[in-house]
Amino acid sequence: MLLSIKNLTAEVEGKPILQGVDLDVRPGEVHAIMGPNGSGKSTLAHVLAGRDGYDVTGGEVLFEGQDLIALEPEERASRGLFLAFQYPVELPGVNNTHFLKEALNAQRKSRGEPELDSVAFLKLVREKIKLVSMNPELLKRQVNTGFSGGEKKRNEILQMAVFEPKLAVLDETDSGLDIDALRTVSEGVNALRSPDRAVILVTHYQRLLDYIEPDFVHVLAGGRIVRSGDKTLAKELEEKGYGWLADEEAA
Amino acid sequence: MNTAEQTSTDLRALVQAAGSEAAGALATPGWLTPVRERGARDVLTMPLPVRKDEAWRYTPVGFLERQSYRAPQVAAPGILVIADIQHLLRPDSVGPRLVFVNGYHAPALSAIGTLPDGVTLTTITQAPGQLPVGLRQQVERVAEHRHVFSALNSALVSDGALIHLAAGTILDSPIEILHIAVGTDEPGICHPRHAIVVDEGAQARVVERYCSVGDPVYFTNAVVDVHVAAGAGLVHERLQTESVGAQHLTELRVTLSENSFYRHVAAALGGEWSRTNLQVVFAGEGAEADLNGLMLAGDKQLNDVHLDIRHDVPRCTSREAFKGILDGRGRIVFDGRILVARDAQKTDAQLSNDNLMLSRSAEVDTKPQLEIYADDVKCSHGTTVGELDKDSLFYLRSRGIPESQAMRMLCQGFAGDVLDRLADQSLREIAQELLDKRLSTSGAALVEGESGDAS
Repeated sequence: MLLSIKNLTAEVEGKPILQGVDLDVRPGEVHAIMGPNGSGKSTLAHVLAGRDGYDVTGGEVLFEGQDLIALEPEERASRGLFLAFQYPVELPGVNNTHFLKEALNAQRKSRGEPELDSVAFLKLVREKIKLVSMNPELLKRQVNTGFSGGEKKRNEILQMAVFEPKLAVLDETDSGLDIDALRTVSEGVNALRSPDRAVILVTHYQRLLDYIEPDFVHVLAGGRIVRSGDKTLAKELEEKGYGWLADEEAA
Repeated sequence: MNTAEQTSTDLRALVQAAGSEAAGALATPGWLTPVRERGARDVLTMPLPVRKDEAWRYTPVGFLERQSYRAPQVAAPGILVIADIQHLLRPDSVGPRLVFVNGYHAPALSAIGTLPDGVTLTTITQAPGQLPVGLRQQVERVAEHRHVFSALNSALVSDGALIHLAAGTILDSPIEILHIAVGTDEPGICHPRHAIVVDEGAQARVVERYCSVGDPVYFTNAVVDVHVAAGAGLVHERLQTESVGAQHLTELRVTLSENSFYRHVAAALGGEWSRTNLQVVFAGEGAEADLNGLMLAGDKQLNDVHLDIRHDVPRCTSREAFKGILDGRGRIVFDGRILVARDAQKTDAQLSNDNLMLSRSAEVDTKPQLEIYADDVKCSHGTTVGELDKDSLFYLRSRGIPESQAMRMLCQGFAGDVLDRLADQSLREIAQELLDKRLSTSGAALVEGESGDAS
């Protein structure tokens, strides 16, 4: 098992959000987590990445059998967890290439692997940037600063391509993208699918799943996974909305 | 009242000692004599700044009480050889270089090379009899001593660079003035004084650096006079990387004639106590001043910039962008005064001071002051004091970058606005390395403190 979440509860600023989440993810699988606004989807993504202020109050999360919650965010990254942000942060004054190189080498160093020199690194980035159809000029700019919505998302997927994580959590990666950007970002993600790599897609809408086909679809509502199924569940949600699930819950 | 003779360092005694020494002790070209005399007179009558003085309220000069500073002796030739300072020299520095050790010119370490016609580059003690008039006037310019330290500098000038560009001369390679302090048996106080005159239509770049070998305790009391004539331009880069025990005061006075430009990029990163008084006087219409500064106040460092920008004539533009980074119990003082005279219509002045606090024990005292007596001007000011952005920090950490490194990257990003304006890669690197070093020494305490707060 790559990721095993058991009865996870978490709160944000003292407010309980996750109320007992169970989820198992194996290498190579793509899971979609869907749900209405406020259901806890993004909270789950941030708890996994280790953001301050997202406090785990119960349950456990094992990543390759080890307690993920006990690790610092940077340790989680080095062990192969990657979160693509819904709102990638702008870092004025920090050069994008420098950032990518520092991050990759920090991860490699933490894993006891040799750091890449500039030549090897640039070769790697040039190869990966093709996967996400990103304008190479953006590498020379400050991280995400003044990037369009689509450019920011592509930059996230570029990072994923460079870091080659074991588990990528994509938080609402489809939000704010026009159809062309959605297509290229999805192609980037698909190119990175592999038997060793799992993906969790957190999304409100079904349309992303037209481009990235999930193996499993889960519906998160009220801080718990209330329904799991295959990709046909996403279609059903598209037609009926989330209301019927809430009704079923109440019944 | 606290007076000069009541501190451990008796400023008057310093002046008297210099006066009674053999005439050769302080080399004095004839034209400098009135400057020295006026300085000596003023030292006797001017008090030491005290907290009651608004301009010194947050920048006490208590170090003069704690230590007894003496005038350093003329460095014996060979006290430093080129190998000692090799690490301070910049590989991409191609221009002429004047080196001063403890305030005294060190010809063996300097490299003038061949200068194009129209460029005069010399020092006060080596100045030829027929100094260009503009330059001489600039050194002689005993503007009202605004405080006892500039009077002291006038009285005790050790040496200094004299730079003159004749009308129309364009010098591509930068002139570097390199100050090096080396430890002596007791703390020294030195008084360099530089003059830069760029005549009509000429252009130059001057790099001024203050650094040290080892970690000596000393007080640099510098005065720099700059005049940029009509249609001329000067790029002036200043890098202060003094030892952790040093005090540094620069009195920098700039006058700008019509349609001239002056670009100032400064990074004051070293010293225990550092202050720059930067005065820019617009004396001709259509001039531009672009002033940028970075101040670092690591633990127990004090870093002060006082601006006195005088828009006395119409249609001049000034930009003042100063940034501060504070850590530990560091302190930054910023006083940005812009005066727009009644006749100075169409003045365009924009001042900003942004500070990044890495520690809650640090302190910023920032005071922008616009005094506007004209009615058709475009002026603005803004100051900010903020902490590192938590979202940015998390973003970097989520990519595998450890917290302390993430902090340094964000600080470098913040400082980059200023440092990226330095023209040479090597200057940027010197500044970044020191910034990095200073931040990594006090960074550990911060991380502990922060997690303590969060829990």
